[in-house]
Amino acid sequence: MDNTTIICRCEEINQEEIEEAIQIGAETFDDIKRLTRCGMGPCQSKICMNLVSSIISEKTSHPLSQVPVPRLRIPLRPIQISTLATGSSNFSSVKSVMDEVELDERR
Amino acid sequence: MTKVNTSYETIIVGGGVIGNSIAFHLSERDQEGILVIDKNFPLSGTSGSTQAWVWVHNKTPASYAEFSMYSAELYPYLSRKIGDVEYKRTGGLSPFFTEKDLEKAHKLAQKYSELGIKIKVLNKEEVLAKEPSLSPDVVGATFSKVDGNINPFRLVDLLIRASKKQGVAYSYYNRVLDIERTENAFIVHTQKETYLCKKLILAGGAWSKELGSYLGIHVPVKQVRGQIMVTEPLAPLLNYTISGMRQAINGEVLIGYSMEEVGFDRRGTLDVIQETANMAIRYVPSLANANVVRCFSGIRAMPKDGYPIIGHVPGVQNLYVAAMHSGITLAPLIGTLMTELILDGETSIPIDDYSITRFQEPVGQL
Repeated sequence: MDNTTIICRCEEINQEEIEEAIQIGAETFDDIKRLTRCGMGPCQSKICMNLVSSIISEKTSHPLSQVPVPRLRIPLRPIQISTLATGSSNFSSVKSVMDEVELDERR
Repeated sequence: MTKVNTSYETIIVGGGVIGNSIAFHLSERDQEGILVIDKNFPLSGTSGSTQAWVWVHNKTPASYAEFSMYSAELYPYLSRKIGDVEYKRTGGLSPFFTEKDLEKAHKLAQKYSELGIKIKVLNKEEVLAKEPSLSPDVVGATFSKVDGNINPFRLVDLLIRASKKQGVAYSYYNRVLDIERTENAFIVHTQKETYLCKKLILAGGAWSKELGSYLGIHVPVKQVRGQIMVTEPLAPLLNYTISGMRQAINGEVLIGYSMEEVGFDRRGTLDVIQETANMAIRYVPSLANANVVRCFSGIRAMPKDGYPIIGHVPGVQNLYVAAMHSGITLAPLIGTLMTELILDGETSIPIDDYSITRFQEPVGQL
């Protein structure tokens, strides 16, 4: 491996970009992710997480076991929106902007 | 372990988009001793878990829309100074599906026109001509040219880089544990050090209440969870920022408009994701076939009455607060106005409406 080795294949992020994020203070996978997009692609960090963790461990001297793993989220693998949809037209937590418009001037 | 009393002129607590915009604008004019402290790492909180609309229209009262508009107008200028934040003034569309909302939209347009903010109410044909992927069930939409979106990661990262060049110091993973007042200084106790500063700015967003409590100041900000769905990169599908979704430069579509009061719980929940999927298909039927790669959630700051809490904290010399919803939209303006307030003692646009004093209700009233 050298600086130009691709660590995140989905987003094509190389080792140098990850090291730069660590150099400016990133300590976790998710810190690095938000700065570089490493792990934001279709595999959602399943391929790069171990590689990134070992780079973090090496550069920060934190033992590998103490480097936090990335936060996993729904879905575990890409899934179509139609599969998630239920066909209901009742909305409770999800709003529309127009719901929030209040026409009485409050001040 | 604790090192004692490193001195700064100004400490900003909170390294989100608001804290960093203040740091950037302040250090443009006065580079003397500014420190930004964050309990975590920039973008780990609200600023890194947003659709990042720069949104003006539909905000009420119209004076708040006007305030937001001034901020949106500053984005091109900010981009020239700090670098490409992928700011796109796409124009904003708020589609609606009922006749009742159509009536509401006309009233809103009338209110706005009184303040010189132009929004159009589009009928079904006009909406579909602008945004052909929207559902034919749409009744109409409000439209404003000034709305758009931004890449929040680039925005915060570039604000930090520019601020560092201007001499701002940063300390991450450094939670504030307590704050003391002396006659003309603040003593800020943190996990890593104890700092002394003359001016203190609380920019803790959803965490503002806790920060204020160290000084006996009530900052009425609650937490609201928002869940957002991200698709795989898609071919260009959306021409506009739509209230509820937007397409990023890389083709991903971000979808969501949920609000839940569950404190600091950032878990995703299937019921809200399902509703979000229903909304996606209701708005843009062709999204049914798009793949979702991630559903994230974030904690938004929500002041008690929904409006920003900004300015000097009365009764405490050199203490300032800046806490609000819509930090992405308002960041350039808040950074500018807070800098004016701190260095000049007055702001170019009045901020009295947004003072924390409005929450101190006289005894005997509601």
